[in-house]
Amino acid sequence: MFDLKAYLPILLMFIVAAGFAVSQVLISQLIGPKRRTPTKLMPYECGKDPVGSARERFSVKFYLVAMIFVLFDIELIFLVPWAVVFKRLAGPEFGLGTLMYVEMMLFIALLFVGFVYIWKKGILDWSQAARQEAEAEAEMLAGQSGERLRRAA
Amino acid sequence: MVPLSWYLALSAVLFTIGAAGVIIKRNAIAMFMCIELMLNATNITFVAFSSFFRDVTGQLFVFIVMTVAAAEAAVGLGIIIAIFRNRLSLDVDDASVLKY
Amino acid sequence: MNIYFGLQTATQQFADVNLWLLMPELIVASAGVLVMLVDAFTKRLDQRWLTGGISLIGLVAAAVSCVWLWTSWTGPTEAFFGMIVLDRLRLSFTLVFLVVSALSVLLSMIWVEWERLPAGEFHALLLFATAGMMLMASGGDLVMIFLGLELLSISTYVMAGFRRTDVRSNEASMKYFILGSFSSAFLLYGTALVYGATAMANGTPGTTNIREIAQRLDTALYPPLLFAGAAMLLIGFGFKVATAPFHVWTPDVYEGAPTPVTAFMAAGPKAAGFASFMRVFLFGFPFVVAAGTAQRLHSAWIAVLVVLAVITMTVGNTAAILQSNVKRMLAYSSIAHAGYVLVGLVAAGAASDLGQRNEAIAAVVFYLLVYSIMTLGAFAVVTILARSGDRRTEIEDYNGIGFDSPWLAFAFSVSLLSLLGVPLTAGFMGKVMVFSAALDQGYVGLVVVAVLNTVVSAYYYLRLIVVMFFRERSGAWNAPLVPASMAIALALTVVGIFYLGIFPGRVIEVFQASPSVISRLLGT
Repeated sequence: MFDLKAYLPILLMFIVAAGFAVSQVLISQLIGPKRRTPTKLMPYECGKDPVGSARERFSVKFYLVAMIFVLFDIELIFLVPWAVVFKRLAGPEFGLGTLMYVEMMLFIALLFVGFVYIWKKGILDWSQAARQEAEAEAEMLAGQSGERLRRAA
Repeated sequence: MVPLSWYLALSAVLFTIGAAGVIIKRNAIAMFMCIELMLNATNITFVAFSSFFRDVTGQLFVFIVMTVAAAEAAVGLGIIIAIFRNRLSLDVDDASVLKY
Repeated sequence: MNIYFGLQTATQQFADVNLWLLMPELIVASAGVLVMLVDAFTKRLDQRWLTGGISLIGLVAAAVSCVWLWTSWTGPTEAFFGMIVLDRLRLSFTLVFLVVSALSVLLSMIWVEWERLPAGEFHALLLFATAGMMLMASGGDLVMIFLGLELLSISTYVMAGFRRTDVRSNEASMKYFILGSFSSAFLLYGTALVYGATAMANGTPGTTNIREIAQRLDTALYPPLLFAGAAMLLIGFGFKVATAPFHVWTPDVYEGAPTPVTAFMAAGPKAAGFASFMRVFLFGFPFVVAAGTAQRLHSAWIAVLVVLAVITMTVGNTAAILQSNVKRMLAYSSIAHAGYVLVGLVAAGAASDLGQRNEAIAAVVFYLLVYSIMTLGAFAVVTILARSGDRRTEIEDYNGIGFDSPWLAFAFSVSLLSLLGVPLTAGFMGKVMVFSAALDQGYVGLVVVAVLNTVVSAYYYLRLIVVMFFRERSGAWNAPLVPASMAIALALTVVGIFYLGIFPGRVIEVFQASPSVISRLLGT
């Protein structure tokens, strides 16, 4: 027989992960502001047209995001082995707890510096023009609904 | 168990294919893919030795190579995009302003 | 996990790692991160002086910590469990890199404004590249050398393509990137093969630590793999330092890259490549008396390097004669100089006596210091004369400027004469040192070829001087403004060339001496 008890942590992990995902979606549904502009109601909120030729060129912004994703994603391969050996190396046999902790915090701090850098450089800002367009659209819609309200009143 | 020499032969063949590709291919992206092939062929060698001798050094090396390859990919694709924007071609034979 | 924190105090834990030995690298890298943050948080207009200033301060602080390590460090000479080593090779090369980077910062400070490029990004990249070079010299393990190399290479790929809208810069960047990663792959494959080959019959796994590699050569389980690995490493380093069959990328990249970047690339990465080259081949595959795998490997790589040195010098000098573009000509000249350095490397490798070997190593470091200074001086003048966008880099553009811009022409002539190796200049002393080291090892033929090559090189170096002073100018000439930071850089290179040419003794003694002698020299 399998001893299923050993797999309990994995089950818990699944539950926590699923719960986290579901709760995030729910919370944003419940308390997030809702502005149903035509752009926002498109299947891809990033602005990609869902219908049309698949062979058109798309914005270089997608590429930038992908590049940054690759860079930050790959750092995980340093975090995981660290987490795996931490207990052993921090234990009585080696006693390197502080060192390992400080080093990983330094590593994460450096990653954070990179993050701050791309943030301030405006890479995460999808684009100035797109934002202004969206704001204009929202303003227009707000104006329309305001007029409708006034007319109703 | 598969003998060590098979892994080494595989990685040597892959490395050679990659090196030949860099020399033969004329498209910058394809050349870049061949370079990645060379790096990953090297990773096979590292992992093969590492597992054969039950040693962790080779696997560590692979981690570092993977990170470096990601950084290289980011920079390399950035360079390729820049060149494409300026001349709308990725053929390295077209990149000949600097020949005399 | 917290319960174990008390077992060893924090200081004890850090003492094992020995962070002090990493001081120069840490300072340069932190300065780079700081520059990055300043770049992100300030406006572009007032950035130039700020980031340039931080870079210079960081480089000077690193130099101070380097001197401190050299003179008063008495602790262990390895850090991070053999990843970082502290020895003369590392410290002397580190000083060379810091000089190169400081001069490059001075050169680029105004230039980034001329070209409307982001100063912060450029200086950050320059500092990261410097940290990479320093790690290449200090790495005691092939992992560290590979990491340092990649840090350097990736930064320089970006710097080569820094003028984004210029097709030449793009092209240089792409060529450098493709051939640079191609050579890194060779280097890596060589490392993998050496790692596997140094395993032992009793099941001890292989190693990438250079000191241990040297001890295990004779007991290597797979000698053929060892030879193949060494060959791959040689190809990788050959690409990086631009020796002859592997030099094809150099002229295009040097011509296309923005001139201050070319100056940096010709000086810094080349010296760094030689630092690792020497570290791996002199310490990893050293001279041994007893016949065996180690001895055969040693004689094999020495023989290959002798051939490479001859080809490199000859190809570099003959091709330089045919060039009509100054940057391209200097690129071929840098290939030729790589050949001269290889002569010194062969001498250091072949030396059976430890004292002679150290002298040869010091000669090579001295040569690279001298070469860096004179190359940076030459490219500084090219930067000033080329103006924004690198428009005037043909040899005709230099017609008759000698009497209209006497100081620039003087500085350029000094650099060129030094590159040629005229007595009283630093280039002469460098050549004397390297060639005499080779003569001590009995490489008479190699030295004869090198001297003949020097004679050939006189043609193209002197031609530029003749063009500047004795050729009529066709168009009107308006002398370029020489900004203060560039003037300082130029003055430093000219003074350096004469100082190292006339009073080289002190510097050479420092490079050759053991730490205690240096403390005496510095009076501490």
